[in-house]
This record gives sequence, C-alpha cells and structure tokens, in this order.
Amino acid sequence: MTALTTPAAPLAEERAPARRGPRWRRTALPYLLLAPALVTFGVFKAYPIVDSLLLSFTTGNGAAGHADGLANYRRLLDDPLFWTALRNTGEMLVVQVPLMLALALLMAVGINSALVRWRAVWRLGIFMPAVTGLVATGVMFSFLLRTEDGAVNRLLEAVGLPAVDWLGQPFWARMAVVLVLSWHYTGYNAVIYLAGLQSIPRELYEAAMVDGAGPVRRFTAITVPALRPLLLFTVVLSTIGTLQLFDEPYVLTGGGPDNATLTVSMYLYQNGFRYFDFGYASAIAYALTLLVSVLGAVQMRLMGERER
Amino acid sequence: MSHLSRRDLLRASGAGLLALAAGGTLAACGSGSGGASGGDAETGTVTVWSWATAAAALRGVVPAFEKDNPGIKVDVQDIGNPAIWDKITVGLAAGGQGLGDVLHIGCDYLPGYLEKFPGGLADLSAFGADAHRDKFAKGLWPVVTGKDGHAYALPWEANPLGFFYRKDYFDKAGIDPTTFATWDDLLAVADRFKAANPGISLLGINKAANPDPDLDFVQSLMQLQGAFYFDLQGKITLGSEADVRALSTLKRLDDTGLVADAPGAQGWSTLMKAGKLAVAPMPAWAAHYLESKFADQSGNWRLAKPPAVTPGGKRAALVNSTHLAVAASSPRRRAAWKFVEYALTRPASVNSMFTAGGVFPALTTAYTDPMYAAPSAYYGGQPVLKTFADLAADGGDPTNYSGDYARALKLASDAQTKVFLKGADPAAVLQDAAKQLAQQTGRTIA
Repeated sequence: MTALTTPAAPLAEERAPARRGPRWRRTALPYLLLAPALVTFGVFKAYPIVDSLLLSFTTGNGAAGHADGLANYRRLLDDPLFWTALRNTGEMLVVQVPLMLALALLMAVGINSALVRWRAVWRLGIFMPAVTGLVATGVMFSFLLRTEDGAVNRLLEAVGLPAVDWLGQPFWARMAVVLVLSWHYTGYNAVIYLAGLQSIPRELYEAAMVDGAGPVRRFTAITVPALRPLLLFTVVLSTIGTLQLFDEPYVLTGGGPDNATLTVSMYLYQNGFRYFDFGYASAIAYALTLLVSVLGAVQMRLMGERER
Repeated sequence: MSHLSRRDLLRASGAGLLALAAGGTLAACGSGSGGASGGDAETGTVTVWSWATAAAALRGVVPAFEKDNPGIKVDVQDIGNPAIWDKITVGLAAGGQGLGDVLHIGCDYLPGYLEKFPGGLADLSAFGADAHRDKFAKGLWPVVTGKDGHAYALPWEANPLGFFYRKDYFDKAGIDPTTFATWDDLLAVADRFKAANPGISLLGINKAANPDPDLDFVQSLMQLQGAFYFDLQGKITLGSEADVRALSTLKRLDDTGLVADAPGAQGWSTLMKAGKLAVAPMPAWAAHYLESKFADQSGNWRLAKPPAVTPGGKRAALVNSTHLAVAASSPRRRAAWKFVEYALTRPASVNSMFTAGGVFPALTTAYTDPMYAAPSAYYGGQPVLKTFADLAADGGDPTNYSGDYARALKLASDAQTKVFLKGADPAAVLQDAAKQLAQQTGRTIA
C-alpha cells in the first residue's frame, strides 16, 4: 500500500509551486464549470422538490391557502380513489413488467442468433416504438383499438374470436394500457439485453456444447446468469417506470372507464392541474416517491444479493 | 367554429383549467389577492379580454360605443380559450397586475374567481348594475352575485335548453314529440319508436367517458329540476333526490336500448353524421351548430320545449352562461363599466353580437327583434330562435357551478359510467360520489 501512495505525494507537491493564482481560484474553477448544471439543478429540480414538500403541508389555494400539518397525508389514507389508483398501478405492474421483460429477452436472443439475417432491420424495428412520440402513440392506438373498425378487432374476428370493447370495459382498458406500455418499452429493454448478450464470451457456449449442454441448458446456465446485472437493472427501472405510469393511460383512456386505468401519477395530475389542489397533489407525489424507493430497495436486495 | 370552442369550454370544462392552478402557487408565495388599487377614471383606453368569435362580435360594438362615449377607446383582445383562464388567474393572483379592464368569464369559472380571489373583480352594483337585474333571463342574476349580494358581472350569453328531434323518425313511429310533457312520456313510446326505426337511437352518450366526461344530458335534467351538484350556498347536492332522479331517467332510457355509446372525442358527431340519433337535448348554440355541422339533414330536425323531469315540473333550464366583469384593479373602472353596460344592456348591441358571433343573448328585451321570429329552412321553416327566446324568457333556476365544478363533474361522471357499464343503482353511486366530494372539498352535504 505504501509503495503505491508514496510516489503520488511528491507529485502533488511538485505541482504546487506552479500555481497561477490564489488557492480559492483554483478550487473555484471546477465549481464554475459545474455552475450551469448546479444552477439548473437547483432551480428546476431541488427547488421544486423542496417546495412541493412544503406544499404538501398546506391546504386550499388562491387566497385561501394555509398550512395544515399532515392533513393531506391523513386524507390520502382515507381516499378511496388513491387506493384504487394504487391497486390499478399494482395490477398493471405485476402483469406488465414480467411479461415485457420476458418478451424483451426472447427478442434479444432471437436477434442475437447467428441464423438471423438483416439484423440491423430487426433491431431498428424493435427499437422504433421506444422513440415514438406520446401523441402519435395515443392517436395510433386509439385507431387500432377502435371497437367497430379497429385493426386489432378485425384481426381477432378474422381468427374467429369475438371483438373486444378495448377502451370501454374496465378490464380490457387495463389490458390495452398493458399492451401499449409493452409495445412502447419492450424494444428498449431488448436492446439493453442484446448489448449484454454480445458481451458474453463465445467460448463459454462452445465449452458448454462440448460438455453436451442443449440450447435450453445453455440459456439457463450461461445466458441468464451472465445477464443478471442487466436483468436487475431493467426490472428496477421498469418497476419504477410503471409505478409512475402516466403517458399511456393519459392518451388512451384518460384514466377511465370508471377509474379502471387511473394510476397514481394520473391522480396526482388530476388533483394538481385539474382541481388546483397542489397541497394534496404534492402529498401524493411524496407517497409515490416513498413507494418507489421502498420497492426499488427491496428489489436490489432480493436480486442483487447473489452478486456479492 | 365559435360554437365548437364554446362547446368545448362549457361541456367538459374539467379540462385545461390551469387558471386557478397558477393562482394557487402564486398566492401561496405570499403575494395574496385582492389588494386591487384600481381607480374610477371615466376615460382612457379600455382593454377587453375575450376569445374567438365572441371577441370579434364585441369588436363590432366598439365603433358605435366610441362615437357615443368620446374620451374612451376600446381595445378588444382575443386571448383565446382556454388560455384566458390561465391569464385571468395569474392576473388576479398578482393583485390585478397585467389584467385587462373588462374580462369575459364563463359560469364555470366565475364562482371560483369570486371564491378564491375576493376583491379581484369590481363591485358593479356600485356603478348601478342592479338597475339592469330584471332585464336578463331569470336565473342568471344569482350567478353574477357575490356572497355580499352585489353584482360582479353582467350576463352576456345564456344557453336555454332545447329538445331537438328528428321529425322524420318520430313520424315513422306515429309519435309527436311536441306532446311530451315529461321524459316519462318519451319512455312510454320507446318501444314503438324502436320498432319503427331499427338501428336508430334516441341519444348518444360517451358511456366510458373517454377521454372526457359526457354529463351534459344528466346535468340538464338536474337543472330542469332546479338542482345541480351544489346549491346556491355551495353545499353538495350531488346525492339529492333530484340528482338521483336525473341519473335514473338516463338509466331508464338506456334500459330501453335507445342510448347509443358514442366513444371518443368524435363519437357523438360520427353517430350524428350517420343519422343514427333522433334526439339532441342541447342548448341554444346548437341551433346554428347542427345546421352547419350536419347540413345534409336539413328539413329533418325540429325543436320542442324540453320535457319536464317530474309531472308538472319546469320545462326551461339555462344550462350555462358567460359574462363580462370589470377587474377591480383597473384604473378606469367607470369607463370599463360603461362599455360593459353599453354592450350588454342594449338590445341593438347584443343582437348585433348574436348575428356576428353566435352568442345567444341573456338580455330578454332583445328577443323582440324580428330576427327571432324568422323561420329557419333547416328546421322545416320552424322559427327555432323564437322557441329559445321563449325558453330564455321563461328563465331557469340559477345554477351554482362553484369553485369545485371540475371535481364534481369527474365524480358524477364516474357515477354515470358505473350505471352504464355495471348497471349500478343511481342513488347508491351518486350518494357515494357526494361523500367523496365532501371528503375532497371539505364542503358539507346539503
């Protein structure tokens, strides 16, 4: 250890006489360079974060706003709509995240296969939805999912299945959101997995094949363990993303019918920007933050453990 | 197009209400409201904030006004809707900074502004506004009156409810809708209508409320009974007997199978275009709207008085209204008031604005103009404006949209969706909604 640190010290001393100005000026420089980022962060992130915490302890708006302690948080616990939103979010999370990630993994393995041609085309096709704009997505799917003449229902009818009232029935509306959400983000996750797959040394597979391992065995014994860090990463990110779910129900269902697709973020938005109840909306935001942190930590614990 | 914009505004005005939002944050920062240090100058340039064709219509009044009132210039600005709500709120929250002198305000915003920014709008009673109270359709004065009994705006547009129907369809079934005294009379002949007109529905409603609530019909049934989500004191009446009766009437209509689902923002127009709807229970602005939007159905539509909800009940309702107010912060409040008075209390002004911008006047003395008696070819020669003028003259019961309209609308919409999708009991869902509304707003249930 000492052998390593000794040469470093004289180096620093050597540089010291070459200073071009007072010490504070040298130490200020990095902060100066960081200033744009720090100021922007302060104004657009830190200030709103602190302010919304303070707001969450107030009630009323306009001239009638006043401090009200924990009233908003107590109200939250008694609010049936908040619990509905939480349950909806939970249900979509449990169905959507595993489904999407499994699909993404299969896609990545498929594209990575040596047998596939035009790989760039497939990759592009898979990733395209991730860069599609929110409004375009909403318009496109509201056409595709139309009950009377939507392409999805036409397809269902063509194979002899009954048409589905996608956006008018609570259950199907939730499924529609799951569908669009998966469409939107599967490709994104697949590309992450693909990068992981390409970094797995080919020799491992060759050695396994020599040992007589079949394709399934190779997948479970080599591919999945090698991708573990990436799996953890995508599971946590997708969970956080789905907990904050807003875009898809916003453009597709507006949270309906009868709040079947109301998510916590949508409820937050309604309270803040439709009813101007900023105190309450802030309280919802903090409840969501708490939830995201706890769930994220639990996942890291459970899945990251074997890593050590 | 004016109708479209107004329709969007007055229909689902839950959307885009950024207005009070900004006020919330600004006032929370301590700037407060009120504190308007305006003046009562009688001359100067009066700035008027309005939107779309209403603004254009107001501009038409300006030359005559400026001629009659030397020393006052008027600048009408089209702020746009919904942007205007945002700007008014920010202005009120800033104690009147940058606010126009005259403000065009809808019935769904006025109570919120009065509640949240006391002292933000000028007391017009001080200028003698009360002298005009009986000139406007009955039911509108309480809407512009504050808790102190003083007037804070003058009514401009009023929308009496009508009952448009397809005469050809009803003829086929041998039914004459002008004989309906109550909605029950319509229910009684529903089967006959259905047998004669397969595939045709009476009403089209966005049952899943996607993307926006579709409560116009139920609200107007409430208003026909002098009821709404709130009473005039601001207490919650969402679970009241009258409100339950309104939703039950819709449920019974739906049970006959004659209420079509109109999904999405365009659902209703699509059904209308296809000629699948036989009834349009819509207010005065629809007279021109139907004519321009569904021109090919010319000659098929007629207008009747809306049926009552209860036997012997009221057959007139004012579903919504817009108003002109004066900002308390204006340094030339008297000049601003002069313009408001000139524009809204003279039959010649409001009628020219009706012709130019389609703003159906609240001023009942305007209805003697011959244009109201003119037959309309689209409605088979029926003078539909006359019917609306009569309905407006009958007047409605005042409706208090309150400062919590957006919440009430959403909860009522959820209740209606439950009735449509799950066959829920109207009384149960509305009383539940009333409880939630009380929980959310801190208001008491009447």
